[in-house]
Amino acid sequence: MARTLQQKQSWIGWIFFSDLWAGLRLTLRYMFSKTITHRYPDQEKWVPYNRHRGHHFIKTNSDGEVNCVGCELCSQICPCDCITVIPYEDEKGNRRPKVFDINLARCLYCGLCEDACPADAIKLGQEYEVACTTTDTLVVHLADLVAAPRKAEEGSGTLVKASLEENGGTKTIAKDGNTQGHDWWQHIRRE
Amino acid sequence: MENIYILLPMFIKIGIVVMVLLLLPLPLTWLERKIAGHIQQRPGPMRVGWHGLLQPIADGIKLLSKEDHIPSEADQLLFKIAPVVALVPPFVVFVAIPIGEPIEIFGTAVMLSLSNMNVGLLFILAISGIGVFGIILAGWASNSKYAVLGSLRSIAQMISYEIPMGFSVIGVVMLANSMNMMDIVNVQKDLWNVVYQPIGFFVFFVAGLAEAQRIPFDLPEAEGDLGAGYHTEYSGMRFSFFMLSEYLVVVILGFLNALLFFGGWHGAPAFIPGIVWLLLKVGFFIWLFMWFRFTFPRYRYDQLMAIGWKVLLPLSLVNILISGLFMF
Repeated sequence: MARTLQQKQSWIGWIFFSDLWAGLRLTLRYMFSKTITHRYPDQEKWVPYNRHRGHHFIKTNSDGEVNCVGCELCSQICPCDCITVIPYEDEKGNRRPKVFDINLARCLYCGLCEDACPADAIKLGQEYEVACTTTDTLVVHLADLVAAPRKAEEGSGTLVKASLEENGGTKTIAKDGNTQGHDWWQHIRRE
Repeated sequence: MENIYILLPMFIKIGIVVMVLLLLPLPLTWLERKIAGHIQQRPGPMRVGWHGLLQPIADGIKLLSKEDHIPSEADQLLFKIAPVVALVPPFVVFVAIPIGEPIEIFGTAVMLSLSNMNVGLLFILAISGIGVFGIILAGWASNSKYAVLGSLRSIAQMISYEIPMGFSVIGVVMLANSMNMMDIVNVQKDLWNVVYQPIGFFVFFVAGLAEAQRIPFDLPEAEGDLGAGYHTEYSGMRFSFFMLSEYLVVVILGFLNALLFFGGWHGAPAFIPGIVWLLLKVGFFIWLFMWFRFTFPRYRYDQLMAIGWKVLLPLSLVNILISGLFMF
C-alpha cells in the first residue's frame, strides 16, 4: 500500500467538516473537467505501443519477396500448433513458403514465433480488431499476412482520430491516415 | 354553474402540478447519471439520443416491458397497493408548496399554490410522515428476508429523522410568527433565513438527506450491498413507482430548503422573474444532493441512527434554545 500523506486534522477542522469539503472539492473538479474515456469506435482509436503483440504480418524485402525461408521453426515453437508451413523451391532457387497458415482461433499471440524466426520474417503487429462472425475467416494465409498492417511507426501509444469503416465494416480506421495522436496517458489526471 | 368558474383555476393548477410531477423524474434520472459519470471522469449515457437525452425514455420502455412478477407467498393486495401508497404522499405535499406571489390572470388574483393553509408547514411535515407507509407495506408484503430487513431499517431511519427535521424548522416558524408558507417566504424579503438559522439549516439539510434515503444515509436500500432493500421483489412498473417517489421526495426537499431557508423567490436580480429564481434554487439543491451522492461513502446503520438521535436531535433543540434567546 502506498504511504499517503498523513495530515493531522485540527479540532476546528473536525467541527467544520474539513475532510468532507476536501472530498467535495475533488469531485467538483472532476465534474467540470474533460472525461478521459476513449471515444472508441466512432471517434477515436487507440494505437498500441510497439511492444504490443497483435495480428501477425510477414515482412518482405526490397525486391518484394517474403523474407520467410520456410524453415518451420515458428511452427515448431508455437505452443498452440497454429502455424502450418510447407516450403518449396521457387524459380530463383530460393527456399520459400508455399503454404503459410496461421489459425488465429488457436493463436495466443505470445510472440514466440517472432522470437524464433531467424529470417526477420514473421512479426506481431499493431492490429487488434480481428473479431469476425465465422471461424473459417480466422485461418489467415500468406497473402493476408503479407498485406497485414505493420507495427505503428508514429503515434504508437496514443489516441488517433478515427471513424468506423464505411459500408458497415467492423473496423475503425484512422481518419485521413492520421498518425499523430493525443498522448492519453500524459493527459489524464494523476492524484 | 358559477362554481365551475371558481373551481377552474384549481383544476388547472392540479392538472399542471400532476403532469409536471409525473414527468419530472425523467430528466432527473438523466441528470443523475450524467453527474455520476462526470464525477467519475466518464461521460455517462451518450448513445441514446444526443448525449443520452433519450435514455430515460429507453429506461421507461424497458421497465414497462418487464414481467410483472409477484412472489407466490407475498400478500397480494398489500404488494399491489404499496407502490401506490408510496407514490401519493409526495404529490399531496405539493398541495401546500407555493412557487410565487399571487399573479393576476384575467383580472383575478391566482395563488400559485394549490392551497394556502395557515398550517402549511405542519401539513407538509405530516404528509411526509405518511410516506413511510409505502415502505412498511412493501417490505412486509414481499415476504422475503432482505425486503423485510431493509424495510425495517428504512422505517426506523425515516421516523427517527423526522423528529430533527420537525424541530429544526421551529426556528423558522419563530422567525415568521406563522406556519403559513407564504408568510415564511415573505419574511425573508430582506435577509434569507439561513443567515439567522445556520444550525437549523444544517440540521434540516442532513435530516432531509436521511428522509430521502440519499447517500450518505442510504444503507436500507444500499443498491448492490443489501439486495435493494424493501423493493427487492418489485420489478417493472411497480419498481418504477418507488423510484418516482424517491425522486419526488428529493424535489420536495429541494423546494423546502429553498423556501424555508433560502428566501424562496426573493432576492432575485432584476431581470429574472421570481418563479425562475426559485426554480434555479431548487435545481441547485437537487444538484447538491446528487453531488453529495457520488462523493461520500454511506454510513453504517448504527452510525446512522446515532447521528439521528445523538447529534441532530440535540442540535435542533439547542437551535430552538438559541433562537429563543436571541429573539428575547
